[in-house]
Amino acid sequence: MPNKLAVIGLDCLTPQLFYGDWLADMPNFKRLLDGSLSGNMVSIVPPITIPAWTCMMTSYDPGMLGIYGFRNRKSYAYEELYVVNSSTVKAKTVWNYLSRNRLRSILLGVPQTYPPRPLNGLLVADFLTPDKDSDFTYPPELRSEIDRVADGEYIIDVKDFRTDKKRELLKQIYTMTERRFKVFRHLLSHEEWDFAMMVEMGPDRIHHGFWRFCDPGHRLYEKGNEYENVIRDYYVYLDQEVGRVLAAIPQDTSVIVVSDHGAKGMHGGICINEFFIQEGLLTLKDYPKEPTSLKAGIVDWKKTKAWGEGGYYARVFLNVEGREPEGVIPRSELQAFRMSLKKKLEGLTDEKGENIGTRVFFPEEIYRTCNNIPPDLIVYLGDLNWRSAGSVGHNRIHVFENDTGPDDANHAEEGVFAWYKRGRGSASSRPSRPGSGKISIFDIAPSILDFFSIDVPDDMIGKVL
Amino acid sequence: MPMKGFTLWFTGLPSSGKSTLAQRVQEILLERGMNVELLDGDEVRQNLCKGLGFSKEDRDANIRRIGYVCKLLSRNGAVAIAAAISPYREIRDENRKAIANYVEVYVKAPIEVLVERDTKGLYKKAIAGELKNFTGISDPYEAPENPEILIESDKETAEESTMKIIRTLELMGLIPGAPAESEYSAEEEEKIKARLKDLGYI
Repeated sequence: MPNKLAVIGLDCLTPQLFYGDWLADMPNFKRLLDGSLSGNMVSIVPPITIPAWTCMMTSYDPGMLGIYGFRNRKSYAYEELYVVNSSTVKAKTVWNYLSRNRLRSILLGVPQTYPPRPLNGLLVADFLTPDKDSDFTYPPELRSEIDRVADGEYIIDVKDFRTDKKRELLKQIYTMTERRFKVFRHLLSHEEWDFAMMVEMGPDRIHHGFWRFCDPGHRLYEKGNEYENVIRDYYVYLDQEVGRVLAAIPQDTSVIVVSDHGAKGMHGGICINEFFIQEGLLTLKDYPKEPTSLKAGIVDWKKTKAWGEGGYYARVFLNVEGREPEGVIPRSELQAFRMSLKKKLEGLTDEKGENIGTRVFFPEEIYRTCNNIPPDLIVYLGDLNWRSAGSVGHNRIHVFENDTGPDDANHAEEGVFAWYKRGRGSASSRPSRPGSGKISIFDIAPSILDFFSIDVPDDMIGKVL
Repeated sequence: MPMKGFTLWFTGLPSSGKSTLAQRVQEILLERGMNVELLDGDEVRQNLCKGLGFSKEDRDANIRRIGYVCKLLSRNGAVAIAAAISPYREIRDENRKAIANYVEVYVKAPIEVLVERDTKGLYKKAIAGELKNFTGISDPYEAPENPEILIESDKETAEESTMKIIRTLELMGLIPGAPAESEYSAEEEEKIKARLKDLGYI
């Protein structure tokens, strides 16, 4: 029988903090890192929670999954995007393969697992659960147990992380994290399992909520502020929780610590639709008097060629003749138009006129295939130092407050990965630290299957580490 | 949810697709966390039924033995999947009576399709008289009259047939259902949008 494998997923845990000076105060992480395979892990394009964890657990890219963000286009109509969930995932996950091979899994909070699908094991769904009245566990009776063992109500996610009520947010993050780890340890100790995986959203929430207070390089940083050390303290706290997990599992259990992407300070927001208005590519019926979301009803589609969505990156859609209901770009000119738009976007400057280094991707060039409806362009504004604001009515392109609430951090392309192999076979198979070669998010699923001596399917795009 | 054990019995002519479908169904049931054992006719003949030939008596004994194992597995809460030609109605009916929660899957295809599909060339050999006791050519096959599931393997893809079987088992309450293949329900959509607005995502 193979040894057990526990995966501790820490959403957004970022390499520059994790592998930096703070490690000296994180003895449990340090212990895991010593002698383990570890290093920066290259995330997907774009580096966002949905679909990053699903890409990690399927070794499919977003195009293969047909999932380009947590909100996707359902059709070429101008309707609002829809929120994806587990039903959207057609690819086999690691736990599908493990179940097929009669290996039992425990999954706690792994993104894109709502609604829960039956498996050989237990599942508590993720932050895209509508609310706790929903059936968010498998089996359903697990729902009441997790509240009991959490020592207080199990928290799916904080209520609001783009808030000015920082003290309240911090309290919520700690409570959520503490209770999730309690539930994880309880399940590890009281259930049978071969593979166990939890994903804690706390690191993501604390980065977005508190980056400005902790990063001297941030535009809004004030030395000596009361929250100056909260991110560091939280990392140290996570280390303690991980230490308790290590104490709760058999000694020969292998452990992976992994994040789906990293984080970096956010310089500000680019109002992508304001940019298109300025460039004459987007026309509104009436320009709003105050900032408002871009809804299909306010756009004059016959005079519009491009529009964008907000988020940590911009999804840009084009109004193509014969594709969109009122498309205006002839198909024969589509590629040339995209190239010209790419050039325009790459020329974006900050408020002082300095080029911000925007990067533009064409989905068909970065994914092996493009299922469902991909954006026409994927845009890293200022190489992800700026976020995309989708709202209009600002009368300017640059904004320094997020249109969906205060947010100080953007996602970065690299997350963390550390695999501490223990037990039978570990001596011969323990890999050394990687050199210049980086670990890919796509390598995780095949490596887990290989750990359990399961043949890696040909359609997985990663390699066994 | 504690599930009832049951037996899924695939019957049909050689090369009709029984083993392929049985394996696919087994994979899905395993993915859903069920205890499943597959008794494939060819494999069973190598161990449980070693030494049995292809006379009517031996074929009957073969099917009775597989049926007996299915009965034991089913009554202990497992899912037993049998994929065997099982040409005689009488013995299949014997098994049906003996096994609680017996689900018969008839995998049907015209002989000419099977001859074309047969990669081992067994049909051609049987037609040429080089192979004796070959079901459908030189031995009888008594098709089920009222199978719980009818698969027409010349008209459906293996994927379609597999999902038809899975869906029927769900409707019979024998396996847990998977969530609908769609996005959130209208009520859930409202709730998730409210949550995402609270979180500042939209």
